[in-house]
Amino acid sequence: MQTKRAMILVSNDPESVRLGANELIQHLTEALIAYDLQDEVEISPLSNVGVSNILPLVAVYPEATVYGPVKAEDARFLVEEHLYKGRIANDLLAPPKHLSGNIGWLRAHKGYNPAEQRIVLERAGRIDPENIEEFIAENGYQALGKALTETTPEQVIETIEKSGLQGRGGAGFPTGRKWKFVRMAKGEKKYIICNADESEPGTFKDRIVLEGDPHTILEAMAIAGYALGADEGYIYIRGEYGLAYRRLQHAIEQAEEYGFLGKDIFETGFNFHIHLHTGAGAYVCGEETALIESIEGKRGEPRARPPYPVTHGLWNKPTLVNNVETLANIPAIIRNGAEWYRSFGTPSSPGTKVYTIMGNVNFTGVIEVPMGITLREVINIYAKGMKPGSILRMAQTGGSSGSIIPASLQDTPMDFESFRKAGVSLGSGALLICDQNTCIVDLVKVLLQFFRFESCGKCTPCRVGTQRAYEIVARISQGQGRLEDLDTLISLGQEMERAANCGLGQTAAVPIRDMLKHFRTETEAHILLGSCPAGKCEMLPEVEHV
Amino acid sequence: MLQITINGKQIEVPEGTTVLRAAEKAGINIPRLCDHKELTPYGGCRLCIVEVQGVRVPMASCTLPVSNGMVVNTETEALKKSRKFILSMLFSERNHFCPFCQVSGGDCELQNAAYHEEMTHWPIQPGWNNFVVDTSHPYFVLDNNRCILCRRCVRACAEMAGNFTLSVAERGAKSLVVADTDVPLGESTCIKCGSCVQVCPTGAIIDKTSAYQMHDKDLTEVKSICTGCSVGCSIKLMVRDNRIIRIEGGWHGSVNHGVLCEHGRYDPMNESRKRITTPLMKKDGKLEPVSWNEALKAVADQLRPLSGQKDGIAAIVSTKLPAETLTAFKDLFAHNEIVTTTEEGMPTASVTKFAEKQGSFEGKLDVLSNADTVLCIGVDAGRTHMVAGFMFKRNMPKGTRLINIDPEENELNDLANLYLKPKAGSDLALILGLQAVIVKEGLGRSPLALPDTDSLIQKAVEETGISRDQLTQTARVLANSITPVILFGKGITAQRDENLVEELYNLAVLVGAVDSERLGLLSLKGEANSLTATLLGLDQIFELNGHKAVFVALGDDYVSRSFVERVSKVSYLVVQASYESKLTAQADVVLPVTVWSEQEGHYINLDGRVQKTQKVFSAPENVRDNLAVLNELATRMNISLESNWKQAILARKSSVALN
Repeated sequence: MQTKRAMILVSNDPESVRLGANELIQHLTEALIAYDLQDEVEISPLSNVGVSNILPLVAVYPEATVYGPVKAEDARFLVEEHLYKGRIANDLLAPPKHLSGNIGWLRAHKGYNPAEQRIVLERAGRIDPENIEEFIAENGYQALGKALTETTPEQVIETIEKSGLQGRGGAGFPTGRKWKFVRMAKGEKKYIICNADESEPGTFKDRIVLEGDPHTILEAMAIAGYALGADEGYIYIRGEYGLAYRRLQHAIEQAEEYGFLGKDIFETGFNFHIHLHTGAGAYVCGEETALIESIEGKRGEPRARPPYPVTHGLWNKPTLVNNVETLANIPAIIRNGAEWYRSFGTPSSPGTKVYTIMGNVNFTGVIEVPMGITLREVINIYAKGMKPGSILRMAQTGGSSGSIIPASLQDTPMDFESFRKAGVSLGSGALLICDQNTCIVDLVKVLLQFFRFESCGKCTPCRVGTQRAYEIVARISQGQGRLEDLDTLISLGQEMERAANCGLGQTAAVPIRDMLKHFRTETEAHILLGSCPAGKCEMLPEVEHV
Repeated sequence: MLQITINGKQIEVPEGTTVLRAAEKAGINIPRLCDHKELTPYGGCRLCIVEVQGVRVPMASCTLPVSNGMVVNTETEALKKSRKFILSMLFSERNHFCPFCQVSGGDCELQNAAYHEEMTHWPIQPGWNNFVVDTSHPYFVLDNNRCILCRRCVRACAEMAGNFTLSVAERGAKSLVVADTDVPLGESTCIKCGSCVQVCPTGAIIDKTSAYQMHDKDLTEVKSICTGCSVGCSIKLMVRDNRIIRIEGGWHGSVNHGVLCEHGRYDPMNESRKRITTPLMKKDGKLEPVSWNEALKAVADQLRPLSGQKDGIAAIVSTKLPAETLTAFKDLFAHNEIVTTTEEGMPTASVTKFAEKQGSFEGKLDVLSNADTVLCIGVDAGRTHMVAGFMFKRNMPKGTRLINIDPEENELNDLANLYLKPKAGSDLALILGLQAVIVKEGLGRSPLALPDTDSLIQKAVEETGISRDQLTQTARVLANSITPVILFGKGITAQRDENLVEELYNLAVLVGAVDSERLGLLSLKGEANSLTATLLGLDQIFELNGHKAVFVALGDDYVSRSFVERVSKVSYLVVQASYESKLTAQADVVLPVTVWSEQEGHYINLDGRVQKTQKVFSAPENVRDNLAVLNELATRMNISLESNWKQAILARKSSVALN
């Protein structure tokens, strides 16, 4: 007797037959023959499994994977994926709650959490990032091939525009529009830059992609190069990301070896080279023009804008600067189309967003959820609720320069437009969930300390403003503040927002503004009562003000 | 042309104009601190912010390019409030204690801005950080307590002098203007050009010599030309009480655009020689003061019979004197065999000789500004004619390459992309070798007939001691340049070989440095009027052969020991000079004359520009003008001085076109 290596069980009870089980078996048999697996795989009928909503049901052993409902036209896909390529045909998996437990081992629905939809983090954690072949097996470089051989550059840009993808670095600028600007810019030589500086405290979403799925960034940059007319790209990666740097370096070598980077990619005559450039510990180099200055070997000081990098960027040539997460969406959009991308998220902010959850919650880490989800949902579903004894007090969305929102705003949908309307900023995706033991003054003090340290020093409002604002808030936190200080803080914040040279100075004012807008009473308590309601700040002995 | 409306006033400006400059053109002054008209805009102080219609936040007008139809408002209430607050931030940042500062009371742009914006006190606490005051530099003080981090000094050091000594260390509130890697300024790579002092808006960089010596508004400004070398930089003298307080580079200068070197700025301030204040005559072996009448009579009586005689008078004049004086000198001693200069035509004779054959062939200094490769041969642009060196040093970060060829130690070797040290005297072989490599490899822009390139290359390698690889590499870099410039100097011209100059010219044509559109070949000549002297025919080497008298018109120039030895053996020596020296000590008659700042006259610089110095001061009582003395002598010797210098210089073909 010849032993088979796998068995496909197909339900053929009357209900299943009514729903097309016999045709399904027929197609499965044909598919096995097509892939020359008929001697290795056995198809067998399966009677009464006790469930009715997922018929016809197909179970594949020895993995005990349950698929259902499976239509006849799905047969080929199932055979190709599961029996030929050896991976789960995810789209056909039976949803877990429909099963009664009669079947043994069950693979959970994709993603870690229910309704978590992974586009950016699709492969991270599931493939070996140092093996290009695993990337290729998981649809790697398919988008690049499709773009180079089946679409024109203009069509690529149109697809990105139609998808509604917005920049994920914090600004939320429509990506397709930015690509269009660079394409339209005058000049033969153009550059693609991936902003992998990720220095926003609490944000490590890009690191997951760079360490876990480096090739997707290379693919996205090559697609961008094709669409915009650039043959050279830079990945500016923060110096502290040693592992990510090595993985990227290895990925670039492998991609060049396999012909996905370098000269004449896919034999279309398209050339694209990627260089790696490390940062050296400056948050301000995450600002696109400061980043460009850094690559040019100068001090990382943001340039005067206009002109913008889309027309005058690296070496004064038209340059595209995109965040890692933004780029990680590109191959999926090219593969699946703009409409598919629009099926996630909200109409004004399609797609997903990767968030890093930190703070007084039960689950901290990285999640990828559709745009438009609310903070309450994030905390309760994904973060599995506040820690025992913790009540939600405030959350900081978007990193140090994001807004500090009180618990009362936790039902605001988290997309760019809704947040803008509510006067808060979504930022880069770090969610700091704070409970009643967090003092707003202490939090703002720490944030200002960060900004003071990271200010590049070019412009007066930020260089002096962050320093003075920190000193004032520090004094308040020690119980040495005066009411006039709040007016001074408002003035400092206003002038920084109005007159600073770049986003760092402009948004350093945001925590101050939010502190005084949503948490004024708490702040005044430090000043007038010399006490910290959250019990965090250490008050110094009273000083007599003359 | 683009349209822009500023405060309701509509004007037209060319594309690329910033809003700040457009406003200036419309007669509207926007307050600013970090901006300087001669430096690239920075956009750091944020004082110049304006409101642009359609833009949410104010924008810095110094870096904002005008776009067509822009509508700008520079004086809203919100802007005034912002400017006041920004100034208060600046004052609170560091230790701005005005009362004892040298520039307080009118010369401080920060203080002036505060008065203008009516910012009299600030609501945020002062810095309380004490910065060490750096007084290590011989000429300036760097006081970071007063710095507003406008970066004008950093930009000036980079864009004017091309020295890149000053930069900012650290970041944010810890930012600090430092020299090199934060070393004392006096121990740094600073070349003391003083560009930083000239642009600093506050008292952060102060000139030691001129501090506390009166506010600028009470000084008299005189524009003149520096007579230190043949570059001919424009200078602005700040004077009072018959004394120079400070010398600045003239921003108006077409040659230098405001930059100056250490010599032009400080040498006149460091003058330590003793001034001669009365005519002197040797009596009983000792120089005694005499009257002008007695001195001039004695000289005229001695020289009159010798004039025109063989081995009679040898007349030598300094090339630091104005054209009018040189011309008069030439006429006065025209009948004599030896009429020449202290330089003996060393920097200019050979190029002028070649020009007789070729016509004007040298280019203008501007050609250095867009050179992609500069070949310096026989010249140390880091030591002499430093401003010419600045013109290409400052472009090196943008990609301009420097090739340095010098048998001696050269100040710019560290900076050069390539430097060669050929054996002394092997220049011809080297130049022919370079030509040969280019012709052999077919890299020339124009044809050049060169027989036997292999043997020329071989000869070059043998005679210069430079390797074949080095020679080839140098030739290739030069030939592959798009806008090369060849700059040469005394190392070549001292050899007095016009054939050498010709071969250099051939090389220049070969690599496209010289063609129908560009003249990328020029020489750095010696003193301020070296070119004028040679055009007047005053460029021979002199050889005293038992001459009976020597007349030296030295002016305020220096004189070398060897020169003194050569002329002092003569029986009758007359010296017309401003300062005491070994030469005047040997003289039989000394006639005291004016220095550069006490006379006016014309100078022709190395690239043919005719410029005029101004008389700034009156000479001391018993001192006379150089030209006046020669005129007086001529009268007494019955010689008429007929030539007009403007015509006289046309007698010979100039190696560079005059304008």
